[in-house]
Amino acid sequence: MLFPTIDFAIFFAVAFTVCWLLNPYAGWWKLGMIGLSYVFYGWVGWSYCLLLLLTTVVAYGGGTWVSAMRSERARRIAMGVSVAALLGILGWFKYYGFVSVNLDNLTHALGFGRAVPLLQVALPIAISFFTFMAISYVVDVYRRVLEPARPLDFALYISFFPHLLAGPIVRGNELLPQIRRRRDAENIDYARAFWLIAAGLFKKVVISSYVSSDIVTPVFTSPTQHSAPEAIFAAWGYAVQIYCDFSGYTDIAIGLALLLGIRFPQNFNGPYTARNLQDFWRRWHMTLSRWLRDYLYIPLGGSAGTESKTVRNIMITMVLGGLWHGAAWTFVIWGGLQGVGQSFGHIRRLSRERRGLPGVADGPVRVWVQRFLTFQFVCLGWVFFNASGTAQAFAVLGRLIHGWGQSSPLVTPLLVLVVAGTIASQFVPELTVSHLQAAFSRQKTTVQVGILGVALLGITTFGPVGVAPFIYYRF
Amino acid sequence: MTTPSTPTPEQPGAARAGQPVPADGRVRARWTRVLFLGVCSFALWFLLFAPTLQHNAQVSPVGKRRTVSLDITGPVAALSRTLQLSRIVSVTGREDQKPGGTIGLIVAGPKPTKPVKPPTTSSTQPGDSTGNGSGVPTTTTTLPNGKHPTSADPLRVLIVGDSLGIDMGGQLQYDLAGTGVVNAALDARESTGLTRPDYFNWPAELATDLKTASPEVVVIMIGANDAQDFLGPPDVPYTSPQWNPMYAQRVSSFMQEAESGGAQVIWVGMPPMENPGLSAQMTDLDGIDQTEAAAQKPPVVYISTDKSLGTAQGGYTAFITNAAGQVVNVRTPDGTHLTPGGGQVVAQQVINELVTLGYKV
Repeated sequence: MLFPTIDFAIFFAVAFTVCWLLNPYAGWWKLGMIGLSYVFYGWVGWSYCLLLLLTTVVAYGGGTWVSAMRSERARRIAMGVSVAALLGILGWFKYYGFVSVNLDNLTHALGFGRAVPLLQVALPIAISFFTFMAISYVVDVYRRVLEPARPLDFALYISFFPHLLAGPIVRGNELLPQIRRRRDAENIDYARAFWLIAAGLFKKVVISSYVSSDIVTPVFTSPTQHSAPEAIFAAWGYAVQIYCDFSGYTDIAIGLALLLGIRFPQNFNGPYTARNLQDFWRRWHMTLSRWLRDYLYIPLGGSAGTESKTVRNIMITMVLGGLWHGAAWTFVIWGGLQGVGQSFGHIRRLSRERRGLPGVADGPVRVWVQRFLTFQFVCLGWVFFNASGTAQAFAVLGRLIHGWGQSSPLVTPLLVLVVAGTIASQFVPELTVSHLQAAFSRQKTTVQVGILGVALLGITTFGPVGVAPFIYYRF
Repeated sequence: MTTPSTPTPEQPGAARAGQPVPADGRVRARWTRVLFLGVCSFALWFLLFAPTLQHNAQVSPVGKRRTVSLDITGPVAALSRTLQLSRIVSVTGREDQKPGGTIGLIVAGPKPTKPVKPPTTSSTQPGDSTGNGSGVPTTTTTLPNGKHPTSADPLRVLIVGDSLGIDMGGQLQYDLAGTGVVNAALDARESTGLTRPDYFNWPAELATDLKTASPEVVVIMIGANDAQDFLGPPDVPYTSPQWNPMYAQRVSSFMQEAESGGAQVIWVGMPPMENPGLSAQMTDLDGIDQTEAAAQKPPVVYISTDKSLGTAQGGYTAFITNAAGQVVNVRTPDGTHLTPGGGQVVAQQVINELVTLGYKV
């Protein structure tokens, strides 16, 4: 079920009412929320619910098995087997097609004939997200960060519908305690919740749709006929599109959870204000970044070893992070670029520190230069991220060399304003937004209804007919 | 940081009088009040937006959902119009938007530097090489067979279609524009077809495209969404005996319109689908398309994708082996649409056909 639809609005009105009516009855509340979450997930295909259930059973069983083991070795084996099982499910659904075609072509080219069966495996929505949450639970139990959860608590932790489709990737120690205790029905932070939902809808329905249809899709569909300025704005435009799309989804998810009395962690923090790639990844998809750091980068050795080992760990983490997004060479290149950029920043930082300088150069001009260069590098990565293949990505980039001297009818003043305005909005202090939310919360009910009704009208009026699914749904 | 304060009786948090406002300055509320606020806001929006919602319901696929949507939006839209609230939306031009994506015609490749001359048409008499022999004078087209397009005088190709047309057309446009001697225009729209002009009027759209692109070749790939009822009055259900002749008539008139400017028309058939029911429907539609293509004067070239994207028997497959012996995934996991590799296969079929027709591309 898509958030920006009337179906979901009706569903949420029911879910909200059920949630708070059942709130005094812990067991019924959990059962009710699990049922609603499965309805939400099964809306596009009931068979997917079986996969969600399978992941839940495997991860819950894994956590219980790990905690039941006494020796460290046995705990480690139990954790390893459970994580491998979860990755096996993910790998089958997400990577089998990609791996089998490439392996098949490789064996054929080497003259070994064809040995791998070719199967078209349907990719269930959101499998990457709930698999990562399941893995983090098993590993946290192994690390004794988390006590094994009760079955219903864990089932709801995995399936809770606001985060189910595209995150944030919530940790067990963040969500499970909130599931266990009763939520305060008298004390809902509705002003912040409605603000997040309205802002998320505006970003997704209006901004993301506009830049997608007016610059990104035309240029990526037929790069060769577009000018260099159009190609540049297509890359910048995609940066705006994917930010508005994904952070819009996250805003809505956080807002919905807040209305149900649950707090989610922040997932974006002005990513295009970043001064280097490491900074960018602390601000972009923050819950994925910390997952990769805690469950992949640090177990690989992190930055504890030599410089070359640190670079190796960064590259492995970012390339796998790229593959997490999708089974395609464009995502491998995108992840590789992130790894190269971060490694470069890491080496430069160490080099400066060895010379007795601060890790990152300061000064107002330098800060803005760093921000500008970081944004351009991020946009270079986005070209591969959005392209249907490497040929298309290089065709877009090729316009930067061959596309000068042509007219640029797609670069309109409105487009420039939207792109610049969206990036500039990331510099607005959180406190200003908080003041606006507080001011809204103090209005009379009639005024609040008017503001929300007109805001919805504006979003639906200026958005296109039929909104495309969120980009991150396919991950 | 805002200063904490206590709500006054007329403020929303007054129900919890005595509780201080949190340090963030945001007044909290009981869940029933939040529900009331949400429902009222939604109702206000619904009242203001009801005419557009009613319009969207009218153009949605026939079925129970459409019926229920119309039953709900109808009375509210009438109220909205009576109160003249619908004017708020109409001033934004919202109802003029076209479905299937807001992207219009995308043109790629060299632009003609000479004035564009449409392909010539001439009246012929029965009995000549292109006549139909029926004794009725017909209008036929002198095709520019063997044309050598150049960057200064490129071949003008228009590609139209539904979502599969997007999958194929994007690749075809890319390949053709890459030759440097073809000006390729693409206008493809998701969820569209020839059955529901109330949702998207392809004949009207084609007329605009023909005027803008003045094509010498028109490539059409439409049909994936067409196996549904015609809306009347009277409605013609998909399963009724009248449906096939009516669809054939629409296909025929669309082909005639595409040929009206003298262009060579190429119709690309639908591939086999993973869903057996949908696949059978597409086979039926392909049959109609093929018959109508042959019946046009001059005939429309029909390209079948049954075997190029399917098994040797014309069944569904997600993987094919190309001429180089490499396995290519040609279908997306939904079992309907084409991957970039699948789009490439069909695009190459069209290019081969252009070469067969004598175009040096």
